[in-house]
Amino acid sequence: MTTASNPAPDTRLAASAASRGSGPAPAPDADGNNPEPGSGTRRGLSERNRPLWMLIPGGVLMIVVIVVPLVLGVYISFLDLDQYSLRQWLSAPFVGVANYIEAITQSGILRSVWLSVSYSALATIVTLPLGIAAAVATQNKYPGRALVRSIFLIPYVLPGFVVATVWRTMFQPSGVISITLHHMGIDPGLFLNGPNTYWVLVFVQIWSSWPFIYLLALSGLQSVDHEVHEAAALDGALWWTKLRYVIFPYLRGPISLAILIGMLNHINNFTLPFVLFGLPAPNDIEVLPYLTYATSFESFRFGLSAGMAVVSLILVAIPLFIYLRAVKLDDAETPGGRK
Amino acid sequence: MSVSTPTLQTQPSAVDRPGSAQQNEVTRLLPPWLLVTVTVLLCAAVLIPIVYIAMASLNSDIGVASGEFWPSSWTLSNYSTIWTSVGLANGLMNSLIVAGSTAVVSAAFSIGTAFVLVRYQFRGRRTILRLLLGFQSIPGTLIVLPLFVLFSSSATYLGLQVIGTRWGLFVTYLTFSLPFSTWVMVTYLRGLPKELEEAARIDGATNLGVLTRIILPLSWPGLIVSAIFAFLPGWNDVLFASVMTRPDTQTAAVALQIFSSATEGGALPQYGQMMAAALVSAAPVVLIYMFFQKYLVGGLTSGGVK
Repeated sequence: MTTASNPAPDTRLAASAASRGSGPAPAPDADGNNPEPGSGTRRGLSERNRPLWMLIPGGVLMIVVIVVPLVLGVYISFLDLDQYSLRQWLSAPFVGVANYIEAITQSGILRSVWLSVSYSALATIVTLPLGIAAAVATQNKYPGRALVRSIFLIPYVLPGFVVATVWRTMFQPSGVISITLHHMGIDPGLFLNGPNTYWVLVFVQIWSSWPFIYLLALSGLQSVDHEVHEAAALDGALWWTKLRYVIFPYLRGPISLAILIGMLNHINNFTLPFVLFGLPAPNDIEVLPYLTYATSFESFRFGLSAGMAVVSLILVAIPLFIYLRAVKLDDAETPGGRK
Repeated sequence: MSVSTPTLQTQPSAVDRPGSAQQNEVTRLLPPWLLVTVTVLLCAAVLIPIVYIAMASLNSDIGVASGEFWPSSWTLSNYSTIWTSVGLANGLMNSLIVAGSTAVVSAAFSIGTAFVLVRYQFRGRRTILRLLLGFQSIPGTLIVLPLFVLFSSSATYLGLQVIGTRWGLFVTYLTFSLPFSTWVMVTYLRGLPKELEEAARIDGATNLGVLTRIILPLSWPGLIVSAIFAFLPGWNDVLFASVMTRPDTQTAAVALQIFSSATEGGALPQYGQMMAAALVSAAPVVLIYMFFQKYLVGGLTSGGVK
């Protein structure tokens, strides 16, 4: 931990900015007020001799591979670009916001937004109790706990395309799930077509992403001091009371973070629906990434598709903004993990 | 994160021996019956599909298609045919080349950036840190299109064929791996003590000297984690690889996806081979995780991205 420079980088930045602006006089003042002895000289050294050029290689590469495509993506959303003009996209006609208007009025994007959001929220809500229960159950040592922890990680570490391929096989008509349910006297109908597809998507997403909640809940549990356990034991708190009033408050930070990131990951998840159901997408699971992809690479309406992608960026920006505001940039290893 | 997690865990041991009966009594969160129930249910939920993959990969296609869990006839032939029928040998090789070079490049570029971000204060530093996290949530669909357009038109404008080559895919994966690798290195370098660097500076080391002589030798665990997290998105990606590859350059993910959708029409899908191929292409990732679990878990939660 960078003890000296981290507690209040904002004020430090402000102070150094002020000292640069109004001459050298305020600078010792700001340093004098600093609770950390010796940090003044350290900062002085850092300021005179900062190797900011070391940011250049990584920075240039990131601008080339991230910022350029991002800006170009937004630009394409204003073009009428199809498979014929693709190779000469510089001369594709500029159509302003026509793509956005078409996306909203004719393409069913609003339905896709709703499907994306509702499926993400549903999956996130169900994974919460599962992940928390798993974390609470593996917090105390017992023989074989390491193995259980490894098992809990499996769904999360399996590649998405593998998860989707496997569940697709299990869910096929007369596959192992249909047969098992049939033996139990239940006839659910088709899973990979029709209205059930939505629930299949939610279910598989839950199966593969609950360990993420588990990991973050576990990091929250590790921040509970031993004294807290002792105090609860001395008070003779029952396990449920202890969990509810003593332990769960510690989880609030990491869990809110997990909800945000979970939502982001689910909204952006293309692999799962794509491999699970293939093209063309069943109507009930045409989530936003799926619709955007099909518009590009099935209908070859690249401009329209870019407009849809920008819409999904706006959709993602809301949880992302909250996340970036809440995350501790400077000290916590697990952001939000410790309050 | 990988450095400081142990300090978190050793905190209780200063008070009492962890693992002793008394200690467990005090910190116990669940009554035994509930603990067993939760553990058994969750393990079953995870393991039943996993066992199913293994069983189905040893089964005949008819057996899988008729909903068997335990194969009625066992066969190993799926594991010998997938290398050519699915194109898995070619696919795994391409995945390894593309994801592997992404990992190396990302890790190499991440350390310099992370060093400056951790050790120096400058204007815009927090903005850069935010961007590193924010970039990971950019929808893949927003990046795939402009890259596809750029790469397609490069044949027209530059006479350079990028679509269908591994280069295009490599650049694409850098988009997502660079910010996260850098963030992982930031969290790692934060845990390194400053004293060594200061001693080196007193001895007259330059900034570059500090980075190459002090930071780099201490950073191998961080670099490995950073590289692994750069490797995984490439290995797992379907979106970009499905658009930007030809049959000879397609990755394992795309090979499997194409194989499983191609066999849908008409004839009986080759489920046994699908499951065998799924298992084989998941194995490296799962093994990496199990092997480096202690270090990787911190990284999973620090940026929250798979």
